[in-house]
Amino acid sequence: MSRFLAGRLLQAAIVLAVMSFVVYGLIGLMPGDPIDAMIAADPELTSEDTERLKALYGLDRPVWERYLAWAGQALGGDFGHSRIYHRPALDLLAERLPHTALLMGLAFALSVAIALPTGIFAALKANRFADYAVNFLCFAGISTPPFWLAIMAMLLFSVTLGWLPATGWPAAGDAGWLERLRHLVLPVAVLGLLSAGGITRYVRASMREALRQDYVRTARAKGLSRAAVVRRHVLRNAMIPVVTILALDMGALFSGALITEIMFGYPGMGALIYNAVMANDYNLALVGLLFATFTTLAANIAADGAYVALDPRIAFRAGA
Amino acid sequence: MIRAFAVAVLLSFAAALPAGAKERLVIGMTQFPSTLHPLIDSMLAKSYALAMGMRPFTAYDPEWRLVCMLCVELPTIENGGAVRETTSEGKEGIAVTYAIRPDARWGDGAPVTTRDVAFAVEVGKHPQSGVASAELFRRILELEIHDDRRFTLHLDRVTFDYNDVGVLVLPAHIDRANFDADPAEYRNRTAFDADSANPGLWFGPYRVVRVEPGAAIELKRNPTWWGKPAAFGTVIIRIVENTAALEVNLRSGAIDYIAGELGLSLDQAAAMEQREGGAWDFAYKAGLIYEHIDLNLDNPALADVRVRRALLHAIDRETISKRLFFGRQPVAHGPVSPLDWVYDPDLPKTPFDPDAARRLLDEAGWTSDGPGAPRRNAAGEPLRLELGTTAGNRSRELVQQVLQAAWKDVGIDVRIRNQPARVFFGETVSKRQFPGLAMYAWLSSPESVPRSTLHSTMIPTAENNWSGQNYTGYRNPDVDRLLDEIEVELDRGKRRALWAELQAAYARDLPVLPLYFRATPYVFPKWLKGVTPTGHQYPTTLWIEEWRAEE
Amino acid sequence: MSPAALAWLRFRRHRAGLAGAVFLLLLAAAAWSAPLIEAALGIDAESVDLFSRYAPPSAAHPLGADDLGRDLLARLLRGGQVSLSVGLAAAFIAALIGTGLGLLAGYRGGAFDTALMRLTDGVIALPLLPLLIVLAAVDPAKLGLDDGTDASLFRVIAIVALVGWTTVARLVRAAALAARAQDYVRAARALGAGSGRIALRHILPNVASPILVATTLSVGNIILFESVLSFLGLGIQPPAASWGNMLAHAQETIWQAPRLAVWPGLLIFATVIAFNFLGDALQDALDPRS
Repeated sequence: MSRFLAGRLLQAAIVLAVMSFVVYGLIGLMPGDPIDAMIAADPELTSEDTERLKALYGLDRPVWERYLAWAGQALGGDFGHSRIYHRPALDLLAERLPHTALLMGLAFALSVAIALPTGIFAALKANRFADYAVNFLCFAGISTPPFWLAIMAMLLFSVTLGWLPATGWPAAGDAGWLERLRHLVLPVAVLGLLSAGGITRYVRASMREALRQDYVRTARAKGLSRAAVVRRHVLRNAMIPVVTILALDMGALFSGALITEIMFGYPGMGALIYNAVMANDYNLALVGLLFATFTTLAANIAADGAYVALDPRIAFRAGA
Repeated sequence: MIRAFAVAVLLSFAAALPAGAKERLVIGMTQFPSTLHPLIDSMLAKSYALAMGMRPFTAYDPEWRLVCMLCVELPTIENGGAVRETTSEGKEGIAVTYAIRPDARWGDGAPVTTRDVAFAVEVGKHPQSGVASAELFRRILELEIHDDRRFTLHLDRVTFDYNDVGVLVLPAHIDRANFDADPAEYRNRTAFDADSANPGLWFGPYRVVRVEPGAAIELKRNPTWWGKPAAFGTVIIRIVENTAALEVNLRSGAIDYIAGELGLSLDQAAAMEQREGGAWDFAYKAGLIYEHIDLNLDNPALADVRVRRALLHAIDRETISKRLFFGRQPVAHGPVSPLDWVYDPDLPKTPFDPDAARRLLDEAGWTSDGPGAPRRNAAGEPLRLELGTTAGNRSRELVQQVLQAAWKDVGIDVRIRNQPARVFFGETVSKRQFPGLAMYAWLSSPESVPRSTLHSTMIPTAENNWSGQNYTGYRNPDVDRLLDEIEVELDRGKRRALWAELQAAYARDLPVLPLYFRATPYVFPKWLKGVTPTGHQYPTTLWIEEWRAEE
Repeated sequence: MSPAALAWLRFRRHRAGLAGAVFLLLLAAAAWSAPLIEAALGIDAESVDLFSRYAPPSAAHPLGADDLGRDLLARLLRGGQVSLSVGLAAAFIAALIGTGLGLLAGYRGGAFDTALMRLTDGVIALPLLPLLIVLAAVDPAKLGLDDGTDASLFRVIAIVALVGWTTVARLVRAAALAARAQDYVRAARALGAGSGRIALRHILPNVASPILVATTLSVGNIILFESVLSFLGLGIQPPAASWGNMLAHAQETIWQAPRLAVWPGLLIFATVIAFNFLGDALQDALDPRS
């Protein structure tokens, strides 16, 4: 097990290193550096100003040189300052991380809470009306543009009905936890509902697969009731692939969180990264992307661990 | 009697309610300021938030007059506050003396003194401090300090705006240590961002008490403020980047008011007014944002003024303004806003006249192949131009498509090619890479001289490191002379005459197609009073102490 | 009965899939005959009329007019062309890349296989949207590529294809690995067939159906994805219309003309769902186990 973990961690480290270089290079390929953007915003900036500022931010040096300088500092624990917030990039991310974790955690819990019973139910009622209905709803979830659902939810629940706030975050700093939760309802619901569709389909497929296995017939032949077979044998076997899929879904969930955060003005990591990319904030965009990658990789490794723990037949080999 | 008394009490209670209930004002805005430091970076979101907690020495008021905010009296040559002098290099300079208001105190009680001015000048002049616009600091040859309150700036040249200095104080008692430790790291360590809630950083009607980067800024009434106390105890600036979501927030009551400067689009506001005008108050202020199309004069077709004039004759700017902008955006005939005192109402105009456009094109040698097809010159080349603007700017994209259709009518084939704002400004426009037309806006201050956009020495090239903003490549010795003269002409009457000449030359040569002056829509809740749109770059929050809730 | 006929029989039983297929065919036919429809109805996707902004549905404009007075129906048809093209082209290219790499990995095996599979793992694990935002923001001119008027279209196709190949690559690799051990492949090799020939003649036909299913399913996702990129300002750029950018643009005027948002939203939704049902039906039809 420890060898397996070491292998996976090494692999993750390599992915991160490669990612950091690729992303750094890509950001370098983005048009207009930060100072150019500043010139556009301030007609009084002169060429002396731009030259001075470019040298100050190191933008007059080639990309690879800047990358090496950055990587050297990063290994020493200094990930640089954000240009658009004038604060250490890591601090900013650390502040936003709990927010995104909360949003994603709740949305994930909601989607699993919906997907598990629904998926199992649909699998047991395979090819009946209930199954088709569930299937249709799942596809509806998969097929809705997230920003569209967000604005529709705001219109209905915040403006027309006035039940819930339209932002994901209370304006006042002294808001109580109940107030915070009220603000979280819409973003969590939007994000959770959208990912529930996909997960339900995985659960259903996995359950159907498990129900087809020989041991189910054997167990039934032994005289066990259908409910007991499902409870004791099918569920456990069906959950193994589901766990993997859930972990793989973290990346998608994060992408969904990005849109949700932008729509609901929620101070999370996704919105931060998006703004950093759009504003050519090298340090922040880079650290943010690496961090997000790191998190999804960690989730994958955890899922592999869980997979191994759930299914003793799987050997401790990396990438099995 | 008792009944009447009870009613009276109830009434007074009810009357008192709105003010009491509105102890807090939540303002929505689309952008978060990158920093709260007054000198680093320049962006509207920052000046909007900052104006609540700080005041510049001078600012233009809503009537477009330069007024003193942090100083006692505006120094002028007439009142002896400014004196012409000869610089050490033997050039003509000017010495301007200011006195800081005696009642100005930072939020922690420390008085605002000339030490703070000295610190600001030192930061501004330091090459590594990261100050965005260092023009003023380059012009300051010397800062002479008389006492705690009075100081004199010795400037290296005499310009008509010699007494306009903006924010020139930084809290030395708090931030100097951060600067002295390492000037190159100052922009990352300044207390304005690292410790924004420190009361000693603010002296305005409000002080910042909480900052959530990218999400919110909370301010509370500042007890050391010298002027009228602000009506709202707490102001929260809430950032919602998506304008549709911003509008939903306003309607749902999550925010009370959307900053006109950084809020709804004109379309959104106008639609609100049409559908439910009674529920809100509306104000539209057209000001100094000059929407226009730069023409690349190196393009052989556009080098001909007849083609440029034909382009302008072919488009119906009045109808565009009426239909797309509900008549709120006045058509521009030149770079100077009609609200500016130097505007010349008699300048020659180029009205919508497609026949004139066709005639001019015929004269210029672009003959028609029949309706719908692009015109061709003697060499058989089609009259095809490329029009670019910032992708994602909805109203520009709309206008662009209307213009394209109008030009097609007179036989000019215009292709649209848009780029994200960063590419468009960062490369295409600033390095003059647009082959034909580039549509965007200039933001200026009242009576700002368009030297950087019109002077022939301001054409960006690789040799001058792409400095200057004369992106059209416009060269006219007369205009160069006028620009030079306006800058140093202190007599208002003579300056106005020079401005009129300049506007006439612009309208004659048409290096740029003027479109309109952008209007900023303000949507107020019925109870919010006292917000006065300015129309220039100084935000309404410079007068936030006048804002109040009323029934 | 031949396998194809059996598959067709199974496919026909999947009513939702059949409905999806019919809907998509009709939609594609309508989108690509847009010029004919426009001529027949006397509408036009491009003519701007500032006096009929947000015009309600009428005889002149069957679905009303948009914010520039252009006919909404005509815009939807043109937008459909773009959205469907993006979806089909990106899915096809991704399938092509995935098949090529998957065949190579599965057939060659060894270090190449390991490296490729690590790469797929890496790509699958990435938080795609932020990365794609970076990719979409890259300036092609800095790479020495020309960006013409359709640059945004090609860019969206390219970046989606660039990250979308992993599913197919995995499927094909697994199938190729399995096939390599099969007797008929060994026999072919013993007969002296080249590896390229074996891969194409013997392995590819066996993986055709999972590729088809995966690709069908991904078309819908890509259309959805284009709308998200458009929402972020990085998708198809006006004046070209796509459902994604029509929807993204309509949200600002949602109070004034909800119709402008409802129609493209509905079409995206219906199209994505149709592709999903179609994929689902194909899976059932082509998977002999079910």
